[in-house]
Amino acid sequence: MSPVVCNGQSVELSEEGFLVDPSLWNEELAVLLAKAEEGLDQLTDDHWSVIRFIRGHFVANNNAPMVRSICKTTGVPLKRIYELFPSGPAKGACKLAGLPKPDGCV
Amino acid sequence: MEPLHLGVLLAGAWAILTLVFLHLNAKAYGKRTLYSKPAGDSVQGVVYAFTKGMAPWAKESVRMNLPSYAAGMVFHAGVFTAFGLLFAAIFGLELPPSLVFLARILTVGGVLGGFSLFGKRIFKPQLRGLSCPDDFVANLLSSLFVLLALTWTFSPALAGVWMSEAILLLVYAPLGKIRHCFFFFTTRYHLGAFFGRRGTFPPRA
Amino acid sequence: MPELDELESRLDALTEADFQQGLEVFRGKLKKAEASYLNSCVHCGLCASSCHYHRMDSTLENIPAHKLELISSVFKRNFTTMGRIAPGLVGAKPFDREMAKAWIDAVFGRCSLCGRCSINCTIGIALPKIFRAARAALGAMGLVPPDLQATVDNSLLHGNNMAVTKQDWVETVQWIEEELQLETGDPGAKLPLDKQGAKFLFTVNPREPKFFPLSLQASAKVFWAAKEDWTLASDGGWDLTNYGLFNCNDEQAGTITKHLVDAMARLGCKTLVIGECGHGYGAARWEGPEWLRKSYPFEVKSILELMDEYVRDGRIQLDPSKNTAPVTLHDPCNLVRHGGICEAQRRVLRKATTNFTEMTPNRVENFCCGGGGGQLAMARYKQRRIQSGGMKAEQIKASGAKVVVAPCHNCIDQLMELNKEYQLNVQIKTVAEMVAEALIPNP
Ligand code: SF4
Ligand code: SF4
Repeated sequence: MSPVVCNGQSVELSEEGFLVDPSLWNEELAVLLAKAEEGLDQLTDDHWSVIRFIRGHFVANNNAPMVRSICKTTGVPLKRIYELFPSGPAKGACKLAGLPKPDGCV
Repeated sequence: MEPLHLGVLLAGAWAILTLVFLHLNAKAYGKRTLYSKPAGDSVQGVVYAFTKGMAPWAKESVRMNLPSYAAGMVFHAGVFTAFGLLFAAIFGLELPPSLVFLARILTVGGVLGGFSLFGKRIFKPQLRGLSCPDDFVANLLSSLFVLLALTWTFSPALAGVWMSEAILLLVYAPLGKIRHCFFFFTTRYHLGAFFGRRGTFPPRA
Repeated sequence: MPELDELESRLDALTEADFQQGLEVFRGKLKKAEASYLNSCVHCGLCASSCHYHRMDSTLENIPAHKLELISSVFKRNFTTMGRIAPGLVGAKPFDREMAKAWIDAVFGRCSLCGRCSINCTIGIALPKIFRAARAALGAMGLVPPDLQATVDNSLLHGNNMAVTKQDWVETVQWIEEELQLETGDPGAKLPLDKQGAKFLFTVNPREPKFFPLSLQASAKVFWAAKEDWTLASDGGWDLTNYGLFNCNDEQAGTITKHLVDAMARLGCKTLVIGECGHGYGAARWEGPEWLRKSYPFEVKSILELMDEYVRDGRIQLDPSKNTAPVTLHDPCNLVRHGGICEAQRRVLRKATTNFTEMTPNRVENFCCGGGGGQLAMARYKQRRIQSGGMKAEQIKASGAKVVVAPCHNCIDQLMELNKEYQLNVQIKTVAEMVAEALIPNP
């Protein structure tokens, strides 16, 4: 996939649109990915609390959190998660949080 | 017996024996013991595969390719007719004029079908890409065989050429793709048994 | 791409012994049915349009018979007399680096093992059987795309394909139980864990607890309404997926199947119930006993069959006016064409919705969504996956439906992507979600 340019630096994306190097993530990049991958022009506070929680969990545990912890920690109701991220928690939220693509049927 | 007749019969025997050998060879791969519980009946599946499952409307590949399907059908009908004529010629059977007339129609169809498929194989790039020399040889030997059978009904003097070609065809048959004259049946059987057991054949709508 | 390099460098490192090993494994997968298939193709090319890859991108490489030919050419060269004495004539080719690469591209990169070509083949060749043998051979040579293998390894290592911990799973089940109690207003609504001797052991796709638990809640709601005696396993044996079906390593697939068999024995359940998942059903119901070389001492059913029975026997009452938007149904290949479960979901949907339309074609003639055969796990082929899914997208558009029901989580994920890529503007749901929506609470 064609790379995204963030702060004059070109960042490589995998075929699936995930960061090739998850350590390159920053919040500007999340904004760019939101637009390019999810068609989101604006990230609301709810978006940010989900994204930041997922990112924090990833940095600490090197995997994606369960959607349950996302809901419990951020207080965002489950159904709202799917509205916030049309591609769902994996291909939507985790992608914007700079995680690699999870394994499995996603 | 005339040497050419004998030649045809020997070539025929070679073809059959080689096919038997190929069949035994395939059989030697062994049967798969199945442990899952069947959902449907493999016998019904086989019956379906050989009957309704072969109907032109049962397969999208046919519905979408009617001209090719028709060409294939008349080609095969022509080949079978030509073999019937060959049998009659060797055993000196007198054919009633009506039957000869029918055979001519069928062999004309066979020739047209065979050569049109040959042309298709040459001129359609993807089909050409799919082909190996065997595909062309097999088609040519068969189409020519039908053509010579047709000419023989007009001029028995051509029997020699025709029978020599028949010998070539029969000798070649089991070596290349023409072996599908046998494997068609085993393959369809296995397909029917597989989908029958799984409850997919016959389809219930 | 790092993964591509991984396969490439593996290809470069292949030794003669690797090729021999590959051939041996390939040969070992062939029985007389396959031997017959490998002797049958007449190169008529009529299968071309049956394949969604070829429909969306009509190159030679996408013709099923061409994929087959790559494999049968090696078969001829190594296992037939004519292939040895006249390779040029019959198209026999050696198994070398280039050929191995072509195999990978064909059987992993251009095939979802959907079997649509099987039923359309002039002769009747079940092509995926051969493609599976080739995948197994490549596996023996270390040539399975790494992300597909990683999904299998997850199951082997963690007991489920997304490496969900026992604690995370159990907490999620409890959370969904709370949600279900809120939804139904019945504090007795349960998602029973490890209930000894329950009639049904229900299994789910890890994707549900991890990211999409609403479908689990919907299934539980249906069981609740039917007053079913069911349970979930808290440890090993709750995950119905088995990507061993896709890397075609029968030994690994068997080990994963064992998780389910062991859970059945541990909990003493009568019937193993597979949630809405095509490949999971195919793996557990059809292939599992073959991998283990043993018949199961229990029954295997799809939850679709159970829902069909509930409706038929009046154990649940449905109000179709709860689902009035136009609905269509996707037929997962492993559930329908290869699985034999075809009408149950239709009967249920007709009772649960007011406006149900079929896609054309459907049932045994259905088109794959493009996500089958492990495609969803192989990132390198994403472009082709989305492109080949165009066939399904067209069908959905033509149906005019606003809701696409797919009894398969794998298909659902692909359909979600197609929804976005092709701007279908549809909702994608499981059958249980439709049923749960239409449930009339028991008096
Ligand atoms: S199994 Fe499906 S994807 Fe594979 S070649 Fe056949 S039609 Fe195409
Ligand atoms: S339809 Fe069957 S016989 Fe014809 S080319 Fe395709 S695989 Fe071969």
